[in-house]
Amino acid sequence: MGEDFELLRNVTIGQYIPTGSPVHRLDPRAKIIALVLLVTAFSITLSPPVSLLLLAGVALIAWAARIPLGYLARGLLPMLPFLVILFTFQIIFRGQADRQGQVIFEWGFLRLTHNSWPVVAVGLIRVVAFVTLASLLTLTTTTTHLTHGVESLLGPLRVVGFPAHEVALVLAIAFRFVPTLIEELDRVARAQASRLGHTGAASRWRPDKTLRARLPLIVPLFLSALRRAEELILAMEARCYVSGRRRSRLWRFQPTPLDYAVVAAGLALVALVWSLG
Amino acid sequence: MQLTTRKIVVAGVLLAVALVLAFTGLGYFPVPNVSDSATIMHVPSIIGGVLEGPVVGLLVSAVFAVDAYIRFGFLFAGAPAYLPFLILLVPRLLIGVAAWLVYRAMKNTNEIVALTLGAVAGTLTNTILVVGLALIFWGQIPAFAGVPQAAFVASVIPQAVFETILAAVVTVAVVAAWKRIETGRGKSSV
Repeated sequence: MGEDFELLRNVTIGQYIPTGSPVHRLDPRAKIIALVLLVTAFSITLSPPVSLLLLAGVALIAWAARIPLGYLARGLLPMLPFLVILFTFQIIFRGQADRQGQVIFEWGFLRLTHNSWPVVAVGLIRVVAFVTLASLLTLTTTTTHLTHGVESLLGPLRVVGFPAHEVALVLAIAFRFVPTLIEELDRVARAQASRLGHTGAASRWRPDKTLRARLPLIVPLFLSALRRAEELILAMEARCYVSGRRRSRLWRFQPTPLDYAVVAAGLALVALVWSLG
Repeated sequence: MQLTTRKIVVAGVLLAVALVLAFTGLGYFPVPNVSDSATIMHVPSIIGGVLEGPVVGLLVSAVFAVDAYIRFGFLFAGAPAYLPFLILLVPRLLIGVAAWLVYRAMKNTNEIVALTLGAVAGTLTNTILVVGLALIFWGQIPAFAGVPQAAFVASVIPQAVFETILAAVVTVAVVAAWKRIETGRGKSSV
């Protein structure tokens, strides 16, 4: 029962760990661009050794950011059942499709061939890398910096009428509310448990039971969010917030040579992976 | 495009709800099928679309779209680079818009019926577009090589039905309680 109340125990995305590392001190825009470039590099390669090298690079970034690898690995735990099932099916289908391929391993339906294993391996590495990279970005960047970075990067789109500031504000509000809502969820779960409700119960073969168990958590979560939204709207309007107006900043980002170097390294990496195939 | 304070804030908190559902796993219901889980991650987009219009629906859908890319992007290893964006992102972005269109068209008949149909339309837009596009580009997705198309569609149907029911139940429960709509069982008082 206790585990029902530790909803964030294995969540690493969205947390921030202030270690004061060089990665933390990078310009958030450089970090976001580097993340997009790394995701691109992972997405264009089909070679397991290249993917593994890229993953080692991600581990190196984590080391430079002084984020324990064990902590990052814990973030993958909630996805484990999903990964196992999907990859078992991948091994079955890709192996069965490659009837002519040289078989490495065969056991019943499971069939791994010389042509199928690289794609399955690259796919697995890709999911692990995407989740780890997303975690690393939020672990090393405060939400304020992240939203300012997004706003600054989307800024040029303002000329075509894209509401860059407003979208960044939506993100800022979302990040701000996540811990509040999780706390709220925790409180609701405890309140339900004290009334003998089994809110954490999940049955794979009886999804209707899962729904019945989770509705008393999900509906109050939405309602609490909407109630808080009303309060925030009132507070913002009372302070004369008007969307679409130009705003000044208390401080501005000043990119350092290291930031440019990180972006250049990302671009070089994509070019290198592209040429390697 | 002008976003009012209300739209910005509601999109923000619903995005937060979507993130909480994703982070805590509450948004994924374990079911015995290929993808392992049925999801209600699209419900914040439907509620955003129904309450505040298509732009809020679209903004909230974005997180579900990115989440889908992280989870299923690997299936497109070896496929053309634009395919994961076309199949995983575009249909999800349209969830809130479709829910808003149907809800607005039906609102004057009966609010509960309009909410239910809005949720159904939002969910099915995603499912039908994803499955339809996957079938159109079937030959270009190596992950599907050797999988009979009929088996793929058959495996999706039970999940689609369950996700549609989930979306309708949660949307009606939340919006009816929020707008204090009579549901036939007395006023909601959550």
